[in-house]
Amino acid sequence: MTMMNNDLRRTIIDVVYRGKDGHIPSAFSIVDIVALLYREYLKVDPHHPQDPSRDYFILSKGHGCVALYVVLAERGFLSQHDLDTFCTSGGILGEHPDCTKVPGVEASTGSLGHGFPFAVGLALGLRILSMTNRIFVLVGDGECHEGTVWEAAHVANNLQLGNLCVIVDWNGSAAQLMPRDDLPAKWRAFGWEARVADGHSEPELRAAFDRIVFQPTGSPTVVIAKTVKGKGVPMLEGHGVWHHRIPTAAERQQMREALA
Amino acid sequence: MGGPNVMRQQFADTLLQVGREDPRLVVLVGDISHFILQPFAQACPGRYYNVGICEPTILSMAAGLAKTGFSPVVHTIAPFLVERSFEQIKLDFCYQRLGGTLITVGSAFDYSNLGCTHHCYDDFALLKSLPNTQIVYPASAEEFDGLFRQTYRSGKVTLVRLPSQAHGQAFRQEEIRFGSGVKLTDGSNLTLIATGPHLRNALAARETLGDMGWQTEILYLHTIHPIDTELIRASVRKTRQVLVVEEHVWTGGVGSDVLRVTRDIPRVRHAFLHLPETFVREYGTYEEHCERLGLSRNGIVKKVETEFRARTTLAAGSQA
Repeated sequence: MTMMNNDLRRTIIDVVYRGKDGHIPSAFSIVDIVALLYREYLKVDPHHPQDPSRDYFILSKGHGCVALYVVLAERGFLSQHDLDTFCTSGGILGEHPDCTKVPGVEASTGSLGHGFPFAVGLALGLRILSMTNRIFVLVGDGECHEGTVWEAAHVANNLQLGNLCVIVDWNGSAAQLMPRDDLPAKWRAFGWEARVADGHSEPELRAAFDRIVFQPTGSPTVVIAKTVKGKGVPMLEGHGVWHHRIPTAAERQQMREALA
Repeated sequence: MGGPNVMRQQFADTLLQVGREDPRLVVLVGDISHFILQPFAQACPGRYYNVGICEPTILSMAAGLAKTGFSPVVHTIAPFLVERSFEQIKLDFCYQRLGGTLITVGSAFDYSNLGCTHHCYDDFALLKSLPNTQIVYPASAEEFDGLFRQTYRSGKVTLVRLPSQAHGQAFRQEEIRFGSGVKLTDGSNLTLIATGPHLRNALAARETLGDMGWQTEILYLHTIHPIDTELIRASVRKTRQVLVVEEHVWTGGVGSDVLRVTRDIPRVRHAFLHLPETFVREYGTYEEHCERLGLSRNGIVKKVETEFRARTTLAAGSQA
Protein backbone atom coordinates (compact mmCIF):
# COMPACT_ATOMS: atom_id res chain seq x y z
CA MET A 1 0.00 0.00 0.00
CA THR A 2 1.40 3.33 -0.98
CA MET A 3 0.83 6.19 1.37
CA MET A 4 0.38 9.43 -0.49
CA ASN A 5 -0.29 12.53 1.49
CA ASN A 6 -1.83 14.36 -1.41
CA ASP A 7 -3.47 17.02 0.76
CA LEU A 8 -0.15 17.88 2.32
CA ARG A 9 1.52 17.89 -1.08
CA ARG A 10 -1.06 20.29 -2.46
CA THR A 11 -0.49 22.56 0.51
CA ILE A 12 3.27 22.43 -0.11
CA ILE A 13 2.71 23.54 -3.69
CA ASP A 14 0.46 26.38 -2.57
CA VAL A 15 2.90 27.55 0.11
CA VAL A 16 5.82 27.58 -2.30
CA TYR A 17 3.78 29.20 -5.06
CA ARG A 18 2.61 32.01 -2.78
CA GLY A 19 6.00 32.50 -1.16
CA LYS A 20 7.79 32.36 -4.52
CA ASP A 21 10.53 30.26 -2.97
CA GLY A 22 11.09 26.72 -1.78
CA HIS A 23 12.21 23.22 -2.71
CA ILE A 24 9.09 21.29 -3.70
CA PRO A 25 10.73 18.01 -4.80
CA SER A 26 12.80 17.77 -1.62
CA ALA A 27 9.68 18.35 0.46
CA PHE A 28 7.73 15.71 -1.48
CA SER A 29 10.57 13.28 -0.90
CA ILE A 30 10.19 13.41 2.88
CA VAL A 31 6.62 14.49 3.57
CA ASP A 32 5.29 10.96 4.04
CA ILE A 33 7.99 10.21 6.61
CA VAL A 34 7.52 13.44 8.51
CA ALA A 35 3.74 13.11 8.52
CA LEU A 36 3.86 9.58 9.87
CA LEU A 37 6.31 10.52 12.61
CA TYR A 38 4.20 13.44 13.81
CA ARG A 39 0.92 11.55 13.58
CA GLU A 40 1.95 8.32 15.23
CA TYR A 41 5.37 8.37 16.85
CA LEU A 42 6.46 11.71 18.20
CA LYS A 43 5.25 12.66 21.63
CA VAL A 44 4.83 16.39 21.12
CA ASP A 45 2.25 18.90 22.27
CA PRO A 46 1.55 22.03 20.23
CA HIS A 47 0.26 23.74 23.37
CA HIS A 48 3.53 23.01 25.16
CA PRO A 49 6.19 22.91 22.46
CA GLN A 50 8.98 23.13 25.04
CA ASP A 51 7.63 20.32 27.22
CA PRO A 52 10.78 18.74 28.73
CA SER A 53 9.41 15.25 28.17
CA ARG A 54 8.79 15.75 24.45
CA ASP A 55 10.36 13.74 21.67
CA TYR A 56 12.59 15.63 19.28
CA PHE A 57 12.52 15.75 15.51
CA ILE A 58 15.37 17.52 13.77
CA LEU A 59 15.27 18.15 10.06
CA SER A 60 18.95 18.14 9.27
CA LYS A 61 18.24 18.62 5.55
CA GLY A 62 16.68 21.98 6.24
CA HIS A 63 15.80 22.75 2.63
CA GLY A 64 12.96 20.23 2.82
CA CYS A 65 11.33 22.36 5.50
CA VAL A 66 8.06 23.09 3.74
CA ALA A 67 7.16 19.47 4.38
CA LEU A 68 7.84 20.05 8.06
CA TYR A 69 5.84 23.27 8.06
CA VAL A 70 2.70 21.71 6.61
CA VAL A 71 2.90 18.83 9.07
CA LEU A 72 3.45 21.23 11.98
CA ALA A 73 0.39 23.12 10.78
CA GLU A 74 -1.60 19.89 10.66
CA ARG A 75 -0.54 19.17 14.25
CA GLY A 76 -1.51 22.66 15.40
CA PHE A 77 1.94 24.18 15.89
CA LEU A 78 1.45 26.61 13.02
CA SER A 79 -1.53 28.51 11.67
CA GLN A 80 -2.77 28.98 8.13
CA HIS A 81 -1.57 32.57 8.45
CA ASP A 82 1.93 31.27 9.18
CA LEU A 83 1.83 29.21 6.00
CA ASP A 84 0.36 32.09 4.01
CA THR A 85 3.23 34.36 5.04
CA PHE A 86 6.00 31.90 4.08
CA CYS A 87 9.05 33.79 2.85
CA THR A 88 7.48 37.19 3.40
CA SER A 89 8.71 40.08 5.48
CA GLY A 90 7.27 39.64 8.95
CA GLY A 91 6.51 35.94 8.46
CA ILE A 92 8.11 33.34 10.70
CA LEU A 93 8.66 30.71 8.03
CA GLY A 94 11.66 30.89 5.74
CA GLU A 95 13.26 28.62 3.21
CA HIS A 96 15.26 27.07 6.03
CA PRO A 97 13.73 26.60 9.48
CA ASP A 98 14.63 28.94 12.35
CA CYS A 99 14.06 27.41 15.78
CA THR A 100 14.06 30.82 17.42
CA LYS A 101 10.92 31.72 15.45
CA VAL A 102 8.99 28.56 14.67
CA PRO A 103 7.26 26.62 17.44
CA GLY A 104 7.98 22.92 17.11
CA VAL A 105 11.24 23.39 15.22
CA GLU A 106 14.06 22.14 17.41
CA ALA A 107 17.10 23.25 15.43
CA SER A 108 17.84 25.90 12.84
CA THR A 109 19.21 24.01 9.87
CA GLY A 110 20.09 24.64 6.27
CA SER A 111 23.83 24.21 6.05
CA LEU A 112 24.08 20.46 5.67
CA GLY A 113 25.91 18.28 8.16
CA HIS A 114 24.92 20.22 11.27
CA GLY A 115 21.57 18.85 12.45
CA PHE A 116 22.76 15.30 12.96
CA PRO A 117 25.80 16.01 15.18
CA PHE A 118 23.64 18.55 17.03
CA ALA A 119 21.15 15.74 17.63
CA VAL A 120 23.94 13.52 18.91
CA GLY A 121 24.65 16.12 21.59
CA LEU A 122 20.96 16.39 22.33
CA ALA A 123 20.67 12.63 22.72
CA LEU A 124 23.72 12.56 24.97
CA GLY A 125 22.37 15.38 27.12
CA LEU A 126 19.02 13.68 27.59
CA ARG A 127 20.75 10.45 28.52
CA ILE A 128 22.91 12.21 31.11
CA LEU A 129 19.70 13.61 32.56
CA SER A 130 18.17 10.10 32.61
CA MET A 131 15.36 11.33 30.39
CA THR A 132 13.54 8.92 28.10
CA ASN A 133 12.82 11.33 25.24
CA ARG A 134 13.45 9.92 21.78
CA ILE A 135 15.35 11.81 19.13
CA PHE A 136 14.64 11.46 15.42
CA VAL A 137 16.82 13.23 12.91
CA LEU A 138 16.28 13.24 9.18
CA VAL A 139 19.28 13.66 6.86
CA GLY A 140 19.48 13.66 3.09
CA ASP A 141 21.52 11.17 1.12
CA GLY A 142 23.30 14.08 -0.51
CA GLU A 143 23.94 15.40 2.97
CA CYS A 144 25.76 12.14 3.65
CA HIS A 145 28.58 13.53 1.53
CA GLU A 146 29.37 15.78 4.48
CA GLY A 147 32.17 14.51 6.69
CA THR A 148 30.40 15.56 9.86
CA VAL A 149 27.65 13.02 9.14
CA TRP A 150 30.17 10.22 9.45
CA GLU A 151 31.96 11.82 12.38
CA ALA A 152 28.61 11.95 14.14
CA ALA A 153 27.72 8.40 13.11
CA HIS A 154 31.02 7.21 14.52
CA VAL A 155 30.59 9.11 17.78
CA ALA A 156 26.93 8.13 18.28
CA ASN A 157 27.73 4.46 17.92
CA ASN A 158 30.69 4.68 20.27
CA LEU A 159 28.54 6.48 22.81
CA GLN A 160 25.82 3.86 22.19
CA LEU A 161 23.09 6.43 21.92
CA GLY A 162 20.13 4.08 21.84
CA ASN A 163 17.71 6.99 22.16
CA LEU A 164 18.62 8.22 18.68
CA CYS A 165 17.13 7.31 15.31
CA VAL A 166 18.44 8.70 12.05
CA ILE A 167 16.32 8.58 8.93
CA VAL A 168 18.11 8.95 5.61
CA ASP A 169 16.08 10.33 2.75
CA TRP A 170 17.63 8.09 0.10
CA ASN A 171 16.22 9.76 -2.98
CA GLY A 172 19.24 9.27 -5.20
CA SER A 173 20.59 12.79 -5.05
CA ALA A 174 23.96 11.55 -3.84
CA ALA A 175 24.27 8.88 -6.51
CA GLN A 176 24.08 11.46 -9.27
CA LEU A 177 27.56 12.51 -8.25
CA MET A 178 28.94 9.50 -6.40
CA PRO A 179 27.32 6.38 -7.84
CA ARG A 180 29.00 4.02 -5.36
CA ASP A 181 26.19 4.61 -2.95
CA ASP A 182 25.58 1.58 -0.74
CA LEU A 183 24.23 3.53 2.21
CA PRO A 184 23.04 0.55 4.28
CA ALA A 185 26.51 -1.00 4.14
CA LYS A 186 28.12 2.28 5.12
CA TRP A 187 25.90 2.76 8.16
CA ARG A 188 26.34 -0.84 9.22
CA ALA A 189 30.10 -0.42 8.89
CA PHE A 190 29.77 2.40 11.39
CA GLY A 191 28.04 0.01 13.76
CA TRP A 192 24.48 1.18 13.29
CA GLU A 193 21.38 -0.95 13.22
CA ALA A 194 20.30 -0.19 9.65
CA ARG A 195 16.88 -0.87 8.15
CA VAL A 196 15.73 -0.11 4.65
CA ALA A 197 12.15 0.88 3.97
CA ASP A 198 10.08 2.44 1.22
CA GLY A 199 9.90 6.04 2.38
CA HIS A 200 6.50 6.51 0.78
CA SER A 201 4.95 3.37 2.26
CA GLU A 202 3.22 3.74 5.56
CA PRO A 203 3.34 0.03 6.40
CA GLU A 204 7.03 -0.27 5.58
CA LEU A 205 7.94 2.81 7.54
CA ARG A 206 5.79 1.72 10.44
CA ALA A 207 7.42 -1.71 10.42
CA ALA A 208 10.84 -0.08 10.53
CA PHE A 209 9.97 2.35 13.32
CA ASP A 210 8.05 -0.21 15.38
CA ARG A 211 11.08 -2.45 15.58
CA ILE A 212 13.30 0.21 17.10
CA VAL A 213 14.06 -0.41 20.73
CA PHE A 214 14.71 3.02 22.18
CA GLN A 215 16.89 2.72 25.23
CA PRO A 216 19.40 4.94 27.01
CA THR A 217 22.31 2.77 25.98
CA GLY A 218 22.38 0.65 22.87
CA SER A 219 23.10 0.77 19.18
CA PRO A 220 21.51 3.74 17.48
CA THR A 221 19.22 2.96 14.58
CA VAL A 222 19.12 4.29 11.05
CA VAL A 223 16.11 3.90 8.82
CA ILE A 224 17.22 4.28 5.25
CA ALA A 225 14.13 5.39 3.45
CA LYS A 226 14.08 4.79 -0.28
CA THR A 227 12.28 7.76 -1.69
CA VAL A 228 11.59 9.55 -4.93
CA LYS A 229 12.43 13.19 -5.17
CA GLY A 230 9.24 15.00 -6.15
CA LYS A 231 7.17 11.89 -5.41
CA GLY A 232 3.56 12.16 -6.47
CA VAL A 233 3.75 14.58 -9.39
CA PRO A 234 5.36 13.10 -12.49
CA MET A 235 6.70 16.41 -13.75
CA LEU A 236 8.56 16.89 -10.46
CA GLU A 237 9.94 13.42 -10.02
CA GLY A 238 13.67 12.84 -10.41
CA HIS A 239 16.58 15.20 -10.44
CA GLY A 240 15.74 17.74 -13.06
CA VAL A 241 15.11 21.45 -13.08
CA TRP A 242 12.56 21.49 -10.30
CA HIS A 243 14.93 21.30 -7.34
CA HIS A 244 14.52 24.99 -6.54
CA ARG A 245 12.09 26.14 -9.22
CA ILE A 246 8.84 27.93 -8.48
CA PRO A 247 5.80 26.92 -10.53
CA THR A 248 3.85 29.32 -12.69
CA ALA A 249 0.10 29.53 -12.17
CA ALA A 250 -0.45 27.02 -14.96
CA GLU A 251 2.18 24.64 -13.60
CA ARG A 252 0.73 24.92 -10.14
CA GLN A 253 -2.64 23.91 -11.52
CA GLN A 254 -1.07 21.04 -13.40
CA MET A 255 0.62 19.81 -10.23
CA ARG A 256 -2.54 20.06 -8.20
CA GLU A 257 -4.44 18.09 -10.81
CA ALA A 258 -1.81 15.37 -10.72
CA LEU A 259 -2.51 15.05 -7.01
CA ALA A 260 -6.26 15.03 -7.34
CA MET B 1 55.33 33.98 38.73
CA GLY B 2 53.58 31.39 36.65
CA GLY B 3 55.33 28.81 34.54
CA PRO B 4 54.19 27.19 31.33
CA ASN B 5 52.03 24.55 33.01
CA VAL B 6 50.33 26.74 35.54
CA MET B 7 47.55 27.84 33.24
CA ARG B 8 46.65 24.36 32.07
CA GLN B 9 46.67 23.04 35.64
CA GLN B 10 44.38 25.83 36.80
CA PHE B 11 42.05 25.04 33.91
CA ALA B 12 41.80 21.45 35.15
CA ASP B 13 41.46 22.48 38.79
CA THR B 14 38.75 25.04 38.10
CA LEU B 15 36.72 22.65 35.98
CA LEU B 16 36.97 20.08 38.74
CA GLN B 17 35.81 22.49 41.41
CA VAL B 18 32.98 23.94 39.35
CA GLY B 19 31.97 20.53 38.08
CA ARG B 20 31.58 19.27 41.62
CA GLU B 21 29.30 22.18 42.44
CA ASP B 22 27.33 22.37 39.21
CA PRO B 23 25.83 19.19 37.72
CA ARG B 24 25.14 21.07 34.48
CA LEU B 25 28.81 21.45 33.59
CA VAL B 26 29.84 19.00 30.90
CA VAL B 27 33.26 18.86 29.24
CA LEU B 28 34.09 17.69 25.71
CA VAL B 29 37.69 17.52 24.54
CA GLY B 30 39.30 16.73 21.22
CA ASP B 31 41.91 14.28 22.47
CA ILE B 32 43.88 16.85 24.40
CA SER B 33 44.34 17.47 28.13
CA HIS B 34 42.86 14.02 28.62
CA PHE B 35 45.08 13.03 31.52
CA ILE B 36 45.02 16.31 33.35
CA LEU B 37 41.20 16.20 33.25
CA GLN B 38 40.93 12.75 34.79
CA PRO B 39 40.11 14.17 38.22
CA PHE B 40 37.11 15.90 36.63
CA ALA B 41 36.15 12.71 34.82
CA GLN B 42 36.31 10.75 38.08
CA ALA B 43 34.47 13.34 40.15
CA CYS B 44 31.80 14.07 37.53
CA PRO B 45 30.88 10.72 35.98
CA GLY B 46 29.01 10.97 32.70
CA ARG B 47 30.02 14.58 32.17
CA TYR B 48 33.43 14.19 30.56
CA TYR B 49 33.93 13.02 26.98
CA ASN B 50 37.13 12.73 25.01
CA VAL B 51 35.27 12.67 21.72
CA GLY B 52 38.32 12.37 19.50
CA ILE B 53 39.64 14.14 16.44
CA CYS B 54 36.41 15.50 15.00
CA GLU B 55 36.24 19.09 16.12
CA PRO B 56 33.25 20.32 14.09
CA THR B 57 31.16 17.47 15.40
CA ILE B 58 32.29 18.17 18.95
CA LEU B 59 31.08 21.76 18.57
CA SER B 60 27.71 20.66 17.20
CA MET B 61 27.35 18.09 19.98
CA ALA B 62 28.14 20.73 22.57
CA ALA B 63 25.40 22.93 21.14
CA GLY B 64 23.01 19.98 21.39
CA LEU B 65 24.02 19.57 25.03
CA ALA B 66 23.33 23.27 25.59
CA LYS B 67 19.88 22.73 24.10
CA THR B 68 19.16 20.28 26.92
CA GLY B 69 20.22 22.79 29.55
CA PHE B 70 23.87 21.92 30.06
CA SER B 71 26.74 24.39 30.20
CA PRO B 72 29.14 22.76 27.77
CA VAL B 73 32.88 23.33 27.70
CA VAL B 74 34.72 22.42 24.51
CA HIS B 75 38.46 22.23 24.73
CA THR B 76 41.07 21.66 22.08
CA ILE B 77 43.78 23.39 20.07
CA ALA B 78 42.82 26.87 18.88
CA PRO B 79 42.91 26.54 15.08
CA PHE B 80 40.84 23.35 15.14
CA LEU B 81 38.29 24.78 17.50
CA VAL B 82 37.95 28.30 16.15
CA GLU B 83 38.98 28.14 12.50
CA ARG B 84 38.02 24.64 11.40
CA SER B 85 34.79 24.69 13.39
CA PHE B 86 33.83 28.30 12.78
CA GLU B 87 30.58 27.44 11.00
CA GLN B 88 29.55 25.19 13.89
CA ILE B 89 30.12 28.05 16.33
CA LYS B 90 28.22 30.39 14.06
CA LEU B 91 25.23 28.19 13.27
CA ASP B 92 24.90 25.63 16.06
CA PHE B 93 25.60 28.03 18.91
CA CYS B 94 25.10 31.63 17.86
CA TYR B 95 22.28 31.26 15.34
CA GLN B 96 20.33 29.07 17.78
CA ARG B 97 21.06 31.45 20.68
CA LEU B 98 22.82 28.79 22.71
CA GLY B 99 25.72 29.35 25.06
CA GLY B 100 28.90 27.47 25.79
CA THR B 101 32.55 27.91 26.64
CA LEU B 102 35.33 27.27 24.15
CA ILE B 103 38.69 26.91 25.84
CA THR B 104 41.63 26.86 23.50
CA VAL B 105 45.28 26.07 23.95
CA GLY B 106 47.82 26.83 21.27
CA SER B 107 47.18 30.53 21.54
CA ALA B 108 48.72 32.44 18.59
CA PHE B 109 52.10 30.70 18.08
CA ASP B 110 52.40 28.96 21.44
CA TYR B 111 53.14 25.77 19.51
CA SER B 112 56.18 27.58 18.23
CA ASN B 113 57.81 24.66 16.38
CA LEU B 114 54.67 23.11 14.92
CA GLY B 115 54.18 25.47 12.02
CA CYS B 116 51.13 27.36 10.90
CA THR B 117 48.80 24.35 11.01
CA HIS B 118 48.89 24.76 14.79
CA HIS B 119 48.92 28.55 14.95
CA CYS B 120 45.89 30.76 15.43
CA TYR B 121 46.17 34.53 15.42
CA ASP B 122 42.76 35.48 14.07
CA ASP B 123 40.58 34.06 16.83
CA PHE B 124 39.57 37.44 18.27
CA ALA B 125 38.47 38.64 14.85
CA LEU B 126 36.50 35.51 14.07
CA LEU B 127 34.62 35.35 17.35
CA LYS B 128 33.94 39.08 17.44
CA SER B 129 32.30 38.83 14.04
CA LEU B 130 29.53 36.65 15.51
CA PRO B 131 26.61 37.78 17.66
CA ASN B 132 26.23 36.59 21.25
CA THR B 133 29.94 36.02 21.80
CA GLN B 134 32.52 37.22 24.29
CA ILE B 135 36.26 36.67 24.62
CA VAL B 136 38.52 36.42 27.64
CA TYR B 137 42.29 36.04 27.60
CA PRO B 138 43.46 35.16 31.09
CA ALA B 139 47.23 35.03 31.51
CA SER B 140 47.32 34.09 35.15
CA ALA B 141 45.81 31.18 36.99
CA GLU B 142 43.64 33.46 39.13
CA GLU B 143 42.25 35.17 36.07
CA PHE B 144 41.27 31.90 34.46
CA ASP B 145 39.50 30.77 37.60
CA GLY B 146 37.65 34.02 38.11
CA LEU B 147 36.71 34.65 34.50
CA PHE B 148 35.55 31.10 33.85
CA ARG B 149 33.27 31.16 36.87
CA GLN B 150 31.86 34.52 35.84
CA THR B 151 31.13 33.57 32.24
CA TYR B 152 30.39 29.90 31.78
CA ARG B 153 26.67 30.22 32.47
CA SER B 154 26.20 33.52 30.65
CA GLY B 155 24.13 32.05 27.82
CA LYS B 156 26.72 33.38 25.40
CA VAL B 157 29.55 31.73 23.55
CA THR B 158 32.66 32.54 25.53
CA LEU B 159 36.05 32.03 23.95
CA VAL B 160 38.73 31.52 26.56
CA ARG B 161 42.13 31.92 24.99
CA LEU B 162 44.43 30.05 27.32
CA PRO B 163 48.08 30.99 26.72
CA SER B 164 50.96 28.75 27.67
CA GLN B 165 52.74 31.63 29.39
CA ALA B 166 51.54 33.52 32.42
CA HIS B 167 52.40 37.18 32.85
CA GLY B 168 53.47 36.73 36.46
CA GLN B 169 51.46 39.59 37.88
CA ALA B 170 49.23 38.98 40.90
CA PHE B 171 45.78 40.55 40.89
CA ARG B 172 43.34 41.11 43.68
CA GLN B 173 40.14 39.15 43.24
CA GLU B 174 38.12 42.32 42.70
CA GLU B 175 40.37 43.22 39.79
CA ILE B 176 39.26 40.13 37.92
CA ARG B 177 35.87 41.26 36.77
CA PHE B 178 34.62 40.18 33.37
CA GLY B 179 34.41 43.15 31.03
CA SER B 180 36.69 45.39 33.09
CA GLY B 181 40.29 46.10 32.30
CA VAL B 182 42.85 46.74 35.00
CA LYS B 183 44.94 49.91 35.40
CA LEU B 184 48.26 48.84 36.86
CA THR B 185 50.15 52.11 36.84
CA ASP B 186 49.26 55.77 36.51
CA GLY B 187 50.89 57.81 33.80
CA SER B 188 50.54 61.11 32.05
CA ASN B 189 51.85 60.96 28.49
CA LEU B 190 51.64 57.35 27.33
CA THR B 191 49.00 54.64 27.58
CA LEU B 192 50.33 51.13 27.12
CA ILE B 193 47.60 48.54 26.63
CA ALA B 194 48.84 45.02 27.19
CA THR B 195 47.12 41.69 26.61
CA GLY B 196 48.03 38.16 27.59
CA PRO B 197 51.57 37.34 28.69
CA HIS B 198 52.82 40.67 27.32
CA LEU B 199 51.82 42.43 30.50
CA ARG B 200 55.18 41.20 31.74
CA ASN B 201 56.95 43.02 28.90
CA ALA B 202 54.88 46.13 29.40
CA LEU B 203 55.83 46.32 33.07
CA ALA B 204 59.47 45.68 32.24
CA ALA B 205 59.49 48.37 29.57
CA ARG B 206 57.96 50.98 31.84
CA GLU B 207 61.13 51.60 33.78
CA THR B 208 63.21 52.11 30.66
CA LEU B 209 60.52 54.33 29.20
CA GLY B 210 60.53 56.32 32.44
CA ASP B 211 64.22 57.04 32.03
CA MET B 212 63.37 58.39 28.60
CA GLY B 213 60.72 60.73 29.88
CA TRP B 214 57.61 58.65 29.39
CA GLN B 215 55.12 58.52 32.24
CA THR B 216 53.43 55.30 31.23
CA GLU B 217 49.93 54.29 32.22
CA ILE B 218 49.60 50.54 31.82
CA LEU B 219 46.20 49.03 31.15
CA TYR B 220 45.75 45.29 31.07
CA LEU B 221 42.81 43.72 29.26
CA HIS B 222 41.85 40.20 30.28
CA THR B 223 38.48 40.70 28.61
CA ILE B 224 38.95 41.22 24.92
CA HIS B 225 35.31 41.36 23.91
CA PRO B 226 33.50 43.43 24.95
CA ILE B 227 36.37 45.83 25.32
CA ASP B 228 36.51 48.15 28.34
CA THR B 229 35.76 51.33 26.44
CA GLU B 230 35.45 53.53 29.51
CA LEU B 231 38.85 52.63 30.95
CA ILE B 232 40.61 53.08 27.63
CA ARG B 233 38.96 56.39 26.81
CA ALA B 234 39.70 57.83 30.25
CA SER B 235 43.36 56.99 29.91
CA VAL B 236 43.76 58.08 26.31
CA ARG B 237 42.00 61.38 26.97
CA LYS B 238 44.77 62.06 29.47
CA THR B 239 47.84 60.73 27.67
CA ARG B 240 46.89 61.25 23.99
CA GLN B 241 49.38 58.57 23.02
CA VAL B 242 48.57 54.89 23.09
CA LEU B 243 50.42 51.71 22.19
CA VAL B 244 48.57 48.39 22.03
CA VAL B 245 50.46 45.10 22.34
CA GLU B 246 48.80 41.85 21.27
CA GLU B 247 49.46 38.42 19.80
CA HIS B 248 46.91 38.79 17.03
CA VAL B 249 46.81 40.16 13.52
CA TRP B 250 45.72 43.75 13.10
CA THR B 251 42.39 42.85 11.49
CA GLY B 252 39.83 42.42 14.20
CA GLY B 253 42.36 42.61 17.00
CA VAL B 254 42.49 44.69 20.15
CA GLY B 255 44.35 47.49 18.40
CA SER B 256 41.59 48.02 15.90
CA ASP B 257 39.05 48.09 18.74
CA VAL B 258 41.11 50.69 20.61
CA LEU B 259 41.24 52.79 17.46
CA ARG B 260 37.47 52.48 17.10
CA VAL B 261 36.62 53.45 20.66
CA THR B 262 38.98 56.43 20.72
CA ARG B 263 38.35 57.74 17.22
CA ASP B 264 36.51 60.84 18.38
CA ILE B 265 39.12 61.94 20.92
CA PRO B 266 41.15 64.72 19.27
CA ARG B 267 44.92 64.69 18.82
CA VAL B 268 45.46 61.06 19.79
CA ARG B 269 48.39 59.16 18.32
CA HIS B 270 48.14 55.40 18.08
CA ALA B 271 50.78 52.73 17.69
CA PHE B 272 50.39 49.00 17.53
CA LEU B 273 52.50 45.94 18.13
CA HIS B 274 50.71 43.02 16.57
CA LEU B 275 51.39 40.09 14.29
CA PRO B 276 51.96 40.64 10.60
CA GLU B 277 49.20 39.67 8.20
CA THR B 278 51.17 36.66 7.09
CA PHE B 279 52.04 33.22 8.39
CA VAL B 280 54.68 32.90 11.06
CA ARG B 281 56.78 30.39 9.19
CA GLU B 282 59.86 30.39 11.42
CA TYR B 283 60.64 27.82 14.11
CA GLY B 284 62.22 28.28 17.50
CA THR B 285 61.01 28.97 20.99
CA TYR B 286 58.00 31.06 21.91
CA GLU B 287 60.35 33.69 23.27
CA GLU B 288 62.33 33.76 20.02
CA HIS B 289 59.15 34.32 18.04
CA CYS B 290 58.20 37.17 20.36
CA GLU B 291 61.62 38.79 20.15
CA ARG B 292 61.69 38.60 16.37
CA LEU B 293 58.20 40.05 16.08
CA GLY B 294 58.89 42.88 18.49
CA LEU B 295 56.59 41.51 21.17
CA SER B 296 59.14 42.08 23.91
CA ARG B 297 60.39 44.68 26.37
CA ASN B 298 62.85 45.98 23.79
CA GLY B 299 60.22 45.88 21.10
CA ILE B 300 57.88 48.03 23.14
CA VAL B 301 60.59 50.59 23.92
CA LYS B 302 61.66 50.73 20.30
CA LYS B 303 58.09 51.12 19.10
CA VAL B 304 57.43 54.01 21.47
CA GLU B 305 60.62 55.72 20.39
CA THR B 306 60.06 55.33 16.68
CA GLU B 307 56.35 56.05 16.63
CA PHE B 308 56.06 58.75 19.25
CA ARG B 309 59.44 60.27 20.05
CA ALA B 310 60.37 60.74 16.42
CA ARG B 311 57.13 62.41 15.65
CA THR B 312 57.21 64.43 18.85
CA THR B 313 60.64 65.70 17.89
CA LEU B 314 59.49 66.37 14.38
CA ALA B 315 56.48 68.24 15.62
CA ALA B 316 58.56 70.27 18.05
CA GLY B 317 61.02 71.06 15.27
CA SER B 318 58.33 72.21 12.89
CA GLN B 319 56.82 74.47 15.54
CA ALA B 320 60.21 76.03 16.11
